[in-house]
Amino acid sequence: MSSLVGHVNPGLVLVLVGILGCLIPVQRVRQALMVATPIVALLLLVFAERNTDLAVWSVLGLDLVTYRVDSLSFIFALAFLIASFLNAIYALHSDDRLQDGMALAYAGAAVAATLAGDLMTLFIFWEITAVSSVFLILRAGTKAAYQAAMRYLGIQILSGVLLLDGLAYVYKSTGSLELTAFTSLDQPGALFIFVAFAIKAAFPFLHNWLQDAYPKATVVGAVVLSAFTTKLAVYAFARMFPGFEILIWIGAIMTVFPVFFAVIENDLRKVLSYSLNNQLGFMICAIGIGTPLALNGAAAHAFAHIIYKGLLFMSMGAVLYRVGTAKASELGGLWRSMPYTAVFCIIGAMSISAFPLFSGFVAKSQTMSAVATFNNGEYMIVWLMLLFASAGVLEHSGIKIPYFTFFGHDGGHRVKEAPFNMLLAMGLAAFICIAIGLPMMGGLGYGWLYDLLPCTTSAVAADVCNVSGVEIKAYNPYTLDHIITQLQLLMLAVLAFMLLKRFGLYPPERPGTILDTDWLYRKPGYGLVKWFGTVWGKVGPAMTAVSGSLAVETFARLEAAFSPRGTLARGGLVNGMAVWSAVLLGLVMLVVLLA
Amino acid sequence: MTDPLERDSSGRFVKPPEQTPNMPTGADDVHPVGRLLFGWVENKRTPSILLGLVVLVIIGLTVADLLVDRHDYFDFANTVWFYSLWGFGAFALAVLSGWPLGHLLRRDEDYYGEAETRPDDVEADE
Repeated sequence: MSSLVGHVNPGLVLVLVGILGCLIPVQRVRQALMVATPIVALLLLVFAERNTDLAVWSVLGLDLVTYRVDSLSFIFALAFLIASFLNAIYALHSDDRLQDGMALAYAGAAVAATLAGDLMTLFIFWEITAVSSVFLILRAGTKAAYQAAMRYLGIQILSGVLLLDGLAYVYKSTGSLELTAFTSLDQPGALFIFVAFAIKAAFPFLHNWLQDAYPKATVVGAVVLSAFTTKLAVYAFARMFPGFEILIWIGAIMTVFPVFFAVIENDLRKVLSYSLNNQLGFMICAIGIGTPLALNGAAAHAFAHIIYKGLLFMSMGAVLYRVGTAKASELGGLWRSMPYTAVFCIIGAMSISAFPLFSGFVAKSQTMSAVATFNNGEYMIVWLMLLFASAGVLEHSGIKIPYFTFFGHDGGHRVKEAPFNMLLAMGLAAFICIAIGLPMMGGLGYGWLYDLLPCTTSAVAADVCNVSGVEIKAYNPYTLDHIITQLQLLMLAVLAFMLLKRFGLYPPERPGTILDTDWLYRKPGYGLVKWFGTVWGKVGPAMTAVSGSLAVETFARLEAAFSPRGTLARGGLVNGMAVWSAVLLGLVMLVVLLA
Repeated sequence: MTDPLERDSSGRFVKPPEQTPNMPTGADDVHPVGRLLFGWVENKRTPSILLGLVVLVIIGLTVADLLVDRHDYFDFANTVWFYSLWGFGAFALAVLSGWPLGHLLRRDEDYYGEAETRPDDVEADE
């Protein structure tokens, strides 16, 4: 590879082509570019030299490392580029310049941020992901989407501001913006950066932007959104906060609480958003463990998750596109009209549920093993929480999504199958879900994914693996006892579903809005702001008049006293002050002499 | 398929409707591939057959569990029915919690004044 090309951040290429794409009116030309660019970027990434600064820009005395690849950033960037390619195919039926361009720019910003070698470059692309992705929500064109987009943008920008604050502290205390792992939250800037990442990773109580915005985005937009922002945050945590034990508990809580919301949620795209939260919990928990096995688990889970979650969003998007709704209470029986979509959705559902032979199985098992063995089983409760969440995933994503959409009660919808481009994107995603989930057979199977993991061998492992001198053992998910126990967990959960349905104990899907913690700022918070606004509207003019007259009077008095023609400038007082100053000075000197 | 020589009420020839491979065809407008892959779900005995199959698989897994020497990190996880009971209990707890939680947290669809969430890029057939 020529020296120039080898120093171009593939993410930056996507960003620039994405912006250019917004200006190309011819649909086929634009979309050809949208599909081809991720492939070019993929080649740039694959042939890039590892563990070296590939591009350095000197700006205002700062050396910004805008392109650096190591084994941790590689797997995330690779997953982002594959997702970007699949998303571009999925969007081919739609002639929307802004959406096409911003989807690519958004993906590019995520890739570029992943391949950033310093905090400032990370911050710049961090903000570009926020600004570019908001168009994917706005393009839905509804009032609800507009309002959700504004809330989304606000919280994403807040994340960026916190990151900027944090990096300023880091620079002030160390004189460097290097992307290195913190060792404590007490370090300057660490807490700011932690919270900035926490917002994008949708930590508990900071998560509402996700369930608020994603289900209101366009059909294509929700698919694109599902891949990048949160996984970029997972990468950032793995890069800067590996082994922070607080993440273990936060991650465990993240896996559990969305299960309960997903059960009662009627909008299936919102169910998938809760499910996304739940899956992020596994990754965050693994990063908190911070051992090479756990970091591999987080990276493998992120890679697999980007593909199968995208597949599930694609299938629900296809249903929304054809039927006009993604609400469980209005769907059902769509296998009659959309059988291919049903098959792909089932593959996504089995992958996320971690059935053997599917990608979730080989990804999640590393995290489970890492949690169980960490510190002599210290985190047994966390392990049990993750095990609970595994059954919960089966409920909301493994069964609820496909069952209430394609089977169950016939909703009476007789529609066309999804457009070919959607089926193609779903088919490719489904292929990847199976290809990386199979046992090793020749060149195929999970080994393909495992070879890409950040802590595979000491020779190529990322710094965060901290593995110098430590032998990294190969992990085999396909042991007989592991297969049996995982199937026991899942099959008994399936049995529970069957029995609960049979005896009428499964809660019916009902339309409605499910309250979450965003109620606090959307109802009482908004009400308080509105009340202040009303009060100010009434009291404001009078207050302004009073304060205005006070200011005028105060200024007049000050001017009367201190201006050149004022009272204090008149000779008498000045002479008097000089006399009194001399008297006081004399008294002070006398006291000093006597003392 | 419509007769190509068919005329409409004004006497003009009517073009037969375009057939696309994605359009459901056949009895009850069921996609032929759907009929092939999932037609069995319409059988009234299917739920019972599936239940029987799942029970058989579970019995098989239990027998296999007795024969395999497992070495889970936690001792309690090595007991034969641990994963089965945990899977059943966790799933049932999650689902049954939906009853009280639904009563507690569900509000009207327009609670936030955002009932209409159907995006503009939907081209629903109905």
